Amino acid sequence: MSKLIDKKTLEYLAGLSRIKLGENEEKQILKDLQKILDYFNLLKEADVSKIEPLAGGTIETNVLREDEKNERKEKERGKLIDSFSDKQDDFLKIPPVF
Amino acid sequence: MEQLTIKKFHQGLTEKKFKVEEIVTDYYRKIEEKDVQIGAYLSLNKTDAISQAKKVDKDLADGQKLNILAGAPLAIKDNISIEGEPATAASKILKNYRAVYDATVIKKLKNLEAVFLGKTNLDEFAMGSSTEKSGFKIAHNPADLERVPGGSSGGSAAATAADLCLAALGSDTGGSIRQPASFCGVVGLKPTYGAVSRFGLIAMASSLDQIGPIAKTVEDAEILFDIIKGKDSSDATSVKIPVKKQSVDFQPGTIGIPKEYFEAGGLSKEVGRAMDEVIKNLKDLKFKIKEISLSHTKYAVACYYIIMPAEASTNLARYDGLRYASNLKSETGKLKLLDLYLKQRGEGFGPEVKRRIILGTFVLSSGYYDAYYLKAQKVRRLIKEDFEKAFGGVDAILTPVSPTTAFKIGEKTTDPLSMYLSDIFTIPVNLAGLPAISIPVKPVKNLPIGFQLIGKPFCEKEILAIGKKYEQK
Repeated sequence: MSKLIDKKTLEYLAGLSRIKLGENEEKQILKDLQKILDYFNLLKEADVSKIEPLAGGTIETNVLREDEKNERKEKERGKLIDSFSDKQDDFLKIPPVF
Repeated sequence: MEQLTIKKFHQGLTEKKFKVEEIVTDYYRKIEEKDVQIGAYLSLNKTDAISQAKKVDKDLADGQKLNILAGAPLAIKDNISIEGEPATAASKILKNYRAVYDATVIKKLKNLEAVFLGKTNLDEFAMGSSTEKSGFKIAHNPADLERVPGGSSGGSAAATAADLCLAALGSDTGGSIRQPASFCGVVGLKPTYGAVSRFGLIAMASSLDQIGPIAKTVEDAEILFDIIKGKDSSDATSVKIPVKKQSVDFQPGTIGIPKEYFEAGGLSKEVGRAMDEVIKNLKDLKFKIKEISLSHTKYAVACYYIIMPAEASTNLARYDGLRYASNLKSETGKLKLLDLYLKQRGEGFGPEVKRRIILGTFVLSSGYYDAYYLKAQKVRRLIKEDFEKAFGGVDAILTPVSPTTAFKIGEKTTDPLSMYLSDIFTIPVNLAGLPAISIPVKPVKNLPIGFQLIGKPFCEKEILAIGKKYEQK
């Protein structure tokens, strides 16, 4: 079985996922993922040529509502802002991007 | 004293045999005494619980008529939001977060004056089948402390089984209510996708997650389900359950036995024998038993472990380590933003969560999307159609909940795939969006075993009716 995920791919995926992995963690995850992906090969034999994908639960229609101001959410917003690690006025204060 | 159920508690209360405050205080005493070993609770909410208890006691003394849930001491899985209470999902990344609003299910329980004893332990972000992957502490099975209580709602199931609460709420994405209920010897109901609002549930895989009750009897599970169900404007996937499906006059029908579930390797002797016993009992209750085929069952685990991580990797992108009370002030000046994300998420998530986020990112990534994610979505339809066909000839489907009884702590932690495969009987139900209940049979060698009844969409009442009949036998 060819390796689908090597160390370089894993580092790329970890970067996309915004997760820093330690050296040992990388080794362990590589080993686990290989096993899991090998298991996924089972799906290759399933014939889905005429099957439409199923995206989710039991209903697949849009649910629309009026675009109205929600007072309750204003209150919750305040509490969420309080839970920021650092802030200036109502804004989340973050370290420099560059 | 005999264990209280919601029903008995309500009777005792209205007959003035005891006060809510006495019962609540007694639960906290038991929690203090036993939970050091079990690890069912992550946080307790004594002050609010006692004051709510006193309020119900006063209402009763004032001659008010109490509703069925008034004063009922419940435990809530720690991925369900109660305003002002911790909602950690057992993850270090949410260690300091307190929910800023009530989940819809909590609002409904509060309206009926329920008491919340505390928040229960789970596998981090509900990712696991043993509650060993909690970011804070391992939970133990009350029937045998060396064994797991199952997961991910292991804390809710263990608390209910050990009588550290009257009943509890859990969440089920691939078996997380039913499997711990089975391992601990209590009843667990996973409602139809859309039957219960997910608003206020910390999302893992949004097309699979459902909130449901864990209780000591089928009757209690039904009481809780009736309260929490219903359409909610805050959850666009919730639906109004058709009225004709809401009550069922009990009539024995036909129960399907999917041969693939019983031929599956890994079904232990004890569980196999227990299922034979269940079939015999159902025949005694005048049910017809019919063999059916769910031919795509063998693909379910692979299908699930593509779809679920894909959705989870997306849902968990919101945890940036800056929001949700992450106490970071000292760090924010030193690192660049990207480095801070990498560090916070690298340190804040446990190994299982990281593995699933990375796996989800992989199956969604360009070049692999069609081969994995799209393929899994198509297989998901095949699995759903299997059930639709089967329900043309049967009213409900009987299967084991788990291939084995509760396994030993540590037994499966080194091999994630073996842990994933233990969910083979519960996963197809979530992929198809169906309701299913786990009901205990007589324990074997002191270890509980449950059977699963799967119903047609929004036919919770039917499987509950069969369950109640079975329970009365």
